[in-house]
Amino acid sequence: MTSSRAHVLPGQYRDRMGWARHFLAGALMGVAFQACWAASTVTVDYRVFPGLAQMDGNWAALLAASDGKVYAGLACHGCTGHLVFYDSKKDKMIDVGDLNGLTGEQGLEIGPQSKIHAKFGEGKDGRIYFATHGGWWFDYARFATPEGYPGSHYMAYDPLLGKIQDFGVGPRYEGMNTGAYDPRFNRIYGLTHPRGHFVYYDVATGAKVDKGRVNNWDSICRTLGIDDQGNVYGSFGPGHIFKYSPQTDTIHELSAQLPIRQKGISLGRDYDKSETAWRVVLWDDVTKRFYGVEESESSLFSFDPSAKPEDAVKRLGQMAIPELAARRDVPYATLSLTLGHDRKLYYAAAAHEFDYGGSGTLATASHLMTYDLRNGKTQDLGEMRLPDGRPVLGTNSADTGLDGTIYFVGAIGVKQGSLDGNENAGKIGDTPYRLALFIYHPKADNVHE
Amino acid sequence: MNKTGFLILIHLLMASFAFAQRDPGYDRVVVLQTRIDARDLGYSPVDLIPDGESGITSLSVAPNGDVFGATSGTRSHLFVLNPVHGYVVPIGVIPGATSVTHAVVISEEGDVFIGTAPSGHLLKYTPDRVDRQSIEIEKLLPVADLGTPVAGEHIDALAIDRRANRIYGLTSPNAHLFSYSILTNKFDDLGVIAKSAPWGEKYEHAKMISRMLVVDDNGDVFTSGEDGYLFEFAAKTQTVQKLSVRAPAVPGREPYARVDAFLLDKSGMIYGGTSDGYLFRLNPEKHTVENLGKPLNQYRIAGLASGPDGKLYGVGGDESEMARMFSYDPRNGSYDLLGFIDVNRRPYFAWQAYVIGDIVSDDRGTIYLGEDERISKLYLFFP
Repeated sequence: MTSSRAHVLPGQYRDRMGWARHFLAGALMGVAFQACWAASTVTVDYRVFPGLAQMDGNWAALLAASDGKVYAGLACHGCTGHLVFYDSKKDKMIDVGDLNGLTGEQGLEIGPQSKIHAKFGEGKDGRIYFATHGGWWFDYARFATPEGYPGSHYMAYDPLLGKIQDFGVGPRYEGMNTGAYDPRFNRIYGLTHPRGHFVYYDVATGAKVDKGRVNNWDSICRTLGIDDQGNVYGSFGPGHIFKYSPQTDTIHELSAQLPIRQKGISLGRDYDKSETAWRVVLWDDVTKRFYGVEESESSLFSFDPSAKPEDAVKRLGQMAIPELAARRDVPYATLSLTLGHDRKLYYAAAAHEFDYGGSGTLATASHLMTYDLRNGKTQDLGEMRLPDGRPVLGTNSADTGLDGTIYFVGAIGVKQGSLDGNENAGKIGDTPYRLALFIYHPKADNVHE
Repeated sequence: MNKTGFLILIHLLMASFAFAQRDPGYDRVVVLQTRIDARDLGYSPVDLIPDGESGITSLSVAPNGDVFGATSGTRSHLFVLNPVHGYVVPIGVIPGATSVTHAVVISEEGDVFIGTAPSGHLLKYTPDRVDRQSIEIEKLLPVADLGTPVAGEHIDALAIDRRANRIYGLTSPNAHLFSYSILTNKFDDLGVIAKSAPWGEKYEHAKMISRMLVVDDNGDVFTSGEDGYLFEFAAKTQTVQKLSVRAPAVPGREPYARVDAFLLDKSGMIYGGTSDGYLFRLNPEKHTVENLGKPLNQYRIAGLASGPDGKLYGVGGDESEMARMFSYDPRNGSYDLLGFIDVNRRPYFAWQAYVIGDIVSDDRGTIYLGEDERISKLYLFFP
């Protein structure tokens, strides 16, 4: 593994100095290890979501569609989420609507459709397919009650007509924790929360199918991978992989094993997070394999479904910020992995445990990491910062546009007096934050030493 | 806002983003962790009853204390747990079965009788040196096929009168009550307890029969049938009669009510749980039913078992819900709500059962709960 250090342009210097002061204070507070981080930055453009400052999270739900629109699902705990898209051709952000309204559940005063918590997919018909998710679960005290969450809706958005089609509730009372759409078989797949069932909706026939439980609620993998034959893969148990075959409509459990780090500390981080699943995977049509990041130490791995079981999974490196990679408390892996047109994997690594308002006490900049599939080299491009120097506080989704632009959705600090407004969704540490779409052009000269 | 409210708010805010990640606070809503454990169905990670075949839908305790269980799924398996060893040994694949529901009974001699669906056969398995039984995941269970009690019917439930060497059963879809004499190898069709399905949607055709049977101390057999009425097969008169009492249900819902679980208590009383989630006590001699109320705001009582402390233990929750455990103390009529059935052994594993298929208890006071999901485990609860 290698890492790069880039120089800082004058424009960033003031911010670097500001960061240095912050770092000095941090060092005095006992976080001296941060000293070696703040050497490079990568500038990303951003767009906020106007009128939606109260949206408090985004996980996985980001798609750069073929028409140049970039779709995002914005979450709101205790309230309704929103479907939005960024029209990259017009540089305009559009709010398609709130999910309670789009599902016809407004005014019912039942558990709201708070999120799109899984990946979108684009159909051959140009429609954008997805499923909704709940927000708060109240320790499942309201599960299957009249006031509780009614269940995830399978849905499609038609960009030509500007209309939503609601296919109705899929799994009763459960949300769609994880999902993927397969244009080949025209199906929305998902893993439910909390009961961990593998389900799908067949758009052509309208069939809603539940294939049963695949995992425990606290360790459901957050991405389903689909290969070029339409087979669907997920991880379960102690780093195992299952395969769903649409040809046979059956689930098979493979003997391939993910590179999961053995647990070492029994409580704290281990208690909260299972650390046994893959966090994010994507399919590469060139090498005919998946690339993914697992959740125990952010290991990057490849998974070749056609290889012999003992050769199917290979550990390629680690996508955590290099200075943190060996630590036991390496920040939990994000969902922000995408493949660029330059054959590099782009991954936004968190600098601290990041989960929006549920993050730790410090709000610091994510790093943009790359892994070059051509030569196997890993690079730390540095801290992700906005043009005004503000740090990207964390991200949890990524995708690549047709023109090669890389998009992320995540959190930024709210800056008093900025054009973004002063509204926020809550705090990350002491920093008020709101969501933003980040825009990165890999070929541009925006990596600075 | 008072202090409690403030703490709850803080807890919710803290927990809200930690979705799908276990917070220590979650332990408050599950069964006390020092009272519960789980067993894989075999020897992990390879020699296990495969996922999709592991839903535990029948449990039964043999006279010698061995606990037998059967699964449902794409295939059905028989397994045994010897409490001395404490692990589950899959014994083999049950021929012709994809479902065995409350349909494993064990005779005084230790023969294991299995009622199958969809084939509707009664099978006999004679254990041989169970203590040294090897794990068999793929081999067919060596059984004697005793035939079909009612042609074309599935076997839905079994109960045994060990003293009389007689097995009783229910079939579906046409709700026959039958008996089988172990001594003479003869089936008797005792009659139909539900002739028609209740008024329902056009896609609903199921006749309402109980999910279990029970034999009392006199050898009389009880079940529920059409319109939620209880039925008795009287051993003395060898007749089936419809009683005037019903499984407790919300008024108007009686036709849709069925008894999910029966338990013959040491007192001679029969306890039952209904599809509406009520617990009741049936006096088998006076034919009276006392509605003991609902332990949970959920449907179903998936099973009942006697605890060593004089309490009854049970689980409520429908297939689409999340099962919770409760206890009932007949001495004072009080319930304890014990929480979700969850075993948290971080960092080794954590697993929560959402659907329970059957419950039994043994003479040592252990309560066994069989999970009925695509991936299932056997839970041991120590009251």
